[in-house]
Amino acid sequence: MLTKLRELESEARSSIGAAGSLEELKEVRVKVLGKKGALTTLLRSLGDVAPEERPVIGKKANILREELEEAFKMKEQALRDVQKEGQWEKERIDVSLPGRPVQLGQKHPLTMILDEIKEIFIGLGFQVAHGPDIETDYYNFEALNIPAEHPARDMQDSYYITEQYLLRTHTSPVQIRTMERMAPHLPVRIIAPGKVFRRDDDATHSPMFHQVEGLAVDNDISFADLKGTLLLFVREMFGSDQKIRLRPSFFPFTEPSAEVDISCIMCAGKGCRVCSDTGWLEILGAGMVHPRVLEGSGYNPREVTGFAFGMGVERIAMLKYGIGDLRLFFSNDLRFLKQFG
Amino acid sequence: MRVSYDWLLEYIDPGMSAGELAEKFTLTGIEVGAVERFGPDLPGVVVGQVKATEPHPGKNNLTLVETDTGSQLLSIVCGAKNMQVGDKVVAALPGSQLPGPRRIEETKIYGVPSAGMLCSAQELGLDLGSEDEILILDSSAVVGDPAFKTLGFDDFILHLELTPNRADCLGLIGVAHEVAALTGRQVKLPPMKLEESETAVEEVMKIDVADTELCPRYTVRAIIEVMIDKAPLWMQLRLLKAGIRPISNVVDITNYVMWEFGQPLHAFDLQLLKNSEIVVRRALQDEKLVTLDGIERKLDSEALVIADGETPVGLAGVMGGEETEITGSTNAVLIEAANFNPTNVRRTARRYNLPSEASQRFEKGVNPEAAIWAQDRTAFLLGKHAGGKVLKGIIDKNACSLEPKRIEVSPERINKILGHVVPETEIAVIFSRLGFAVEKKADSLMEVTVPLRRADLTLEEDIVEEVARLHGYDKIPVTLPSGELQGNRESENERFKNLVRSMFIAAGYYECITYSFINPQNFMQLRLPADDCRRKAVPVQNPFSEEQAVMRTTILPGLLKVMQHNLSHRELNQMLFEIGSVYEPESLPLESLPLEKTKLTLAVTGLIPEPNWIVPAQKADFFTLKGVLETLFNRLQIFDVEYTPKAMPFSHPSRCAVINVGGEELGFLGQLHPEVAEEWEIDQQVAVCEIDLDLLNKITDLVPKVATLPRYPAAKRDLAVVVSRDISALQLEDAIREAGGGLVSQVKLFDLYAGKQIPEGKRSLAYSITFRRDEGTLTDAEVNKAQENIEKTLFDLGAVLRS
Repeated sequence: MLTKLRELESEARSSIGAAGSLEELKEVRVKVLGKKGALTTLLRSLGDVAPEERPVIGKKANILREELEEAFKMKEQALRDVQKEGQWEKERIDVSLPGRPVQLGQKHPLTMILDEIKEIFIGLGFQVAHGPDIETDYYNFEALNIPAEHPARDMQDSYYITEQYLLRTHTSPVQIRTMERMAPHLPVRIIAPGKVFRRDDDATHSPMFHQVEGLAVDNDISFADLKGTLLLFVREMFGSDQKIRLRPSFFPFTEPSAEVDISCIMCAGKGCRVCSDTGWLEILGAGMVHPRVLEGSGYNPREVTGFAFGMGVERIAMLKYGIGDLRLFFSNDLRFLKQFG
Repeated sequence: MRVSYDWLLEYIDPGMSAGELAEKFTLTGIEVGAVERFGPDLPGVVVGQVKATEPHPGKNNLTLVETDTGSQLLSIVCGAKNMQVGDKVVAALPGSQLPGPRRIEETKIYGVPSAGMLCSAQELGLDLGSEDEILILDSSAVVGDPAFKTLGFDDFILHLELTPNRADCLGLIGVAHEVAALTGRQVKLPPMKLEESETAVEEVMKIDVADTELCPRYTVRAIIEVMIDKAPLWMQLRLLKAGIRPISNVVDITNYVMWEFGQPLHAFDLQLLKNSEIVVRRALQDEKLVTLDGIERKLDSEALVIADGETPVGLAGVMGGEETEITGSTNAVLIEAANFNPTNVRRTARRYNLPSEASQRFEKGVNPEAAIWAQDRTAFLLGKHAGGKVLKGIIDKNACSLEPKRIEVSPERINKILGHVVPETEIAVIFSRLGFAVEKKADSLMEVTVPLRRADLTLEEDIVEEVARLHGYDKIPVTLPSGELQGNRESENERFKNLVRSMFIAAGYYECITYSFINPQNFMQLRLPADDCRRKAVPVQNPFSEEQAVMRTTILPGLLKVMQHNLSHRELNQMLFEIGSVYEPESLPLESLPLEKTKLTLAVTGLIPEPNWIVPAQKADFFTLKGVLETLFNRLQIFDVEYTPKAMPFSHPSRCAVINVGGEELGFLGQLHPEVAEEWEIDQQVAVCEIDLDLLNKITDLVPKVATLPRYPAAKRDLAVVVSRDISALQLEDAIREAGGGLVSQVKLFDLYAGKQIPEGKRSLAYSITFRRDEGTLTDAEVNKAQENIEKTLFDLGAVLRS
């Protein structure tokens, strides 16, 4: 009986293969699967088989029926396609033609970098704070321990509106505004992105640029915490094998203060033109919040400590994207902007 | 500050090379911008000695100089006349290399062979002497030695980029103290032990300081019988390394001592000071002084002057006067070493545009102790190198406190701030290297006495930084702040801006960032009338140019400038936006901070999408922007937006609308007047829009509201009417909705036509109307009735149905 099944299968498959038209295929189908077809006939003789073998044979026959049905269907599709060959040819397209345009715009590269910086610090538990572009002398200088006769307050460097108001020269005033608002609440952990203005206008300076300020104040904020926070930031921004180097420096509103260098991203610290062969690139200034700044903003410097940092957004964007000319950011040249997306 | 490594060795031996020292400085707080060699190697250029001279046989302005170069005697033809037998000179032998670069060969000069060249200072690359004099070396030079060694060309100059607090390093001895702090080595002071004459300085000079606030210390010494000459070459070379041009022995010595102690000095010709007196006072109104640079300065009481019995002879701390300057005929000098008020010196130097090495030091603060050291050292050197006799004593008018500062510091505080334990033994070593005297107090508290030279150290935190930097910032570990968690999501305001920004980017717009200040001329270009509120802009007091003269009240000029820039680079199709602040003052001049409002500004021009083979491109116009705004409003679920026709001063007179939401004006949208576009050299159609994003944020609920899905099927009917152009689409739509009796859920315009077959002044509009009821399925009869009602209403508006 099994032998007969196998014979039937091979005969049926070769007939399906040989069928040259839909009509011929239909005839084969009747012969094999029809009411009087070979398979039905074969199954009728199941009575001759030993009772214990019947379920086995029955199952095999059913599987064969399904397989043959499938084979007929596929052959049918193939025969129909052949029939319509002319029509397919008429409908041929040139797949090398461009697709229907979908126009996507793009964020400004500075927004891209700002978003990235915000994302990193938000992940570290920092809030995002904002302050006005036009500031008072008090917030921009005095509260930051930059007294009236300090050279940094020179008319040469700042855009003044009146004697009392000016365009902020850094985002540091947001430190003061935030602490005044939050004191005596702890912790304070903010970053403050924004525009700043300096009276400089040449190939490497823009009269307006962007900074991100950072501030953390709590019972036990230490210089080690500052180092850790900056290292983590730098690695998120420039890659996990980045190193940082802190050098002692001076800012009126931090003590101790540091300039922060990262290993040169062009040469991985080996020394090149970009890093003037030092292997390091200066990217931000930082330090422990000066006690006079804490005190003036409502915190007791004997009880709390804090760190602060400030970075130039354009500088980071230039390093990250390999941009050579600062002025490109504000020309908004589409040939430049379109490279970002 | 330029530090010659070789010169620094006089005061301390750092025990490391110049390059290593530079690295060490940089890592401990004094950034070294560059380390530069003083001069080249000069191969083949050696010290020679003049053995004999004879005139050139053929040319009488030339001399044949028989020169001993250590290994041989050479005959060299020389054009200079200033050498004498026995002088040590610099001989460039045949085959040698001079800066320039210039190669020296054996030649014949007017028939006489010359075995090389005797060099002038300038031929060696030194800014000394004149072209027609050869350089005469100090007699201590060794014949045959390579010249670059004798001249110190192998020395290194460290360029210190000092932060404003480190004025103590504006003198080499201060730098030596810093090296001592880094290495624990000892500072050696230069010799300054004097022999003084019997006559006291008070006998020749009287000093009166009339303003002790602006001049807290004023000291003078007098030196008589000086011989004005050149300073010794070694001193001139050191001044060149410091970047100072040598002048004469007296002036060079005052500069030399300034470079040592950081104390500026001034030398007056003693005999030219009238009345034998000095008065330090504010200048009188319109008083005049001719400064050393030969320029007559008109003074007033803001300026502090050094005057003699009659007139000013110097601008205090900034520049001396020409009248009393040291000249070849000077034979007695008065040396001034003073301490002037930093602010006043800074203002005066700025005002007269006279920045100098002296004024820069006074501006940053000079150690008041240094005046006496500098006086003694100057007198010592004048005695040695200018043959002077030093009169007895110093006149010292001093109002400065010379009491060093005491600061309390505890190791616990140091460790808390650093987050790191610096062992107390190490702290003790650091303090001793810094020259701090330490007194132990109760509870491990220490009181340190800080030398006067470190005026920058006043607080415990300053001492913490000293410990940290000398311990090494790199040794401080890396930790993260611990502490309470706090909510730190961005503010709703910022999230709203991000949402708007991402929507415009998805719609194909490029974000721009333009300057917050603009040219007030832009207001005229935009044709804003005098009373337009956008004209009330905050002026910048000191802009570089008119382009920065006022704070923007609209972003429009910024974007139009961007458009112009891009058009000039043949970017014809542009979709631009900016989200940024404009500044609206309450009053002018400013009495309070202006309102900083966030605006969204859009500008489009050219074909959208960019011309392509498959999708038709259309000229950007009013409807381009209206479409994207509608998308925005839909996204924000704001549905009661009204567009009212109204021209802006800069818009196309009949293609502009103001946008109102819930009765509040959000902004405008329109095509730019072609002549206004021309003001920005734009010769194609431009559409612009500016809306108040703060207001839009206020009326937006960022959380989308979701309605249940309709449970019953809708019915759709199309309707086309021909109607007068005076009936707006909005009127028609409103009429359809009203007449539909609450069954109309959507009205969509799918065709608009005017032209052939439509009468003049009319247009055809075709709508697809969706009918739906919340409860229950609509029957055909109900829909038909509603439709009939709509048709009737439109008929009343003068509409004719099209089939």
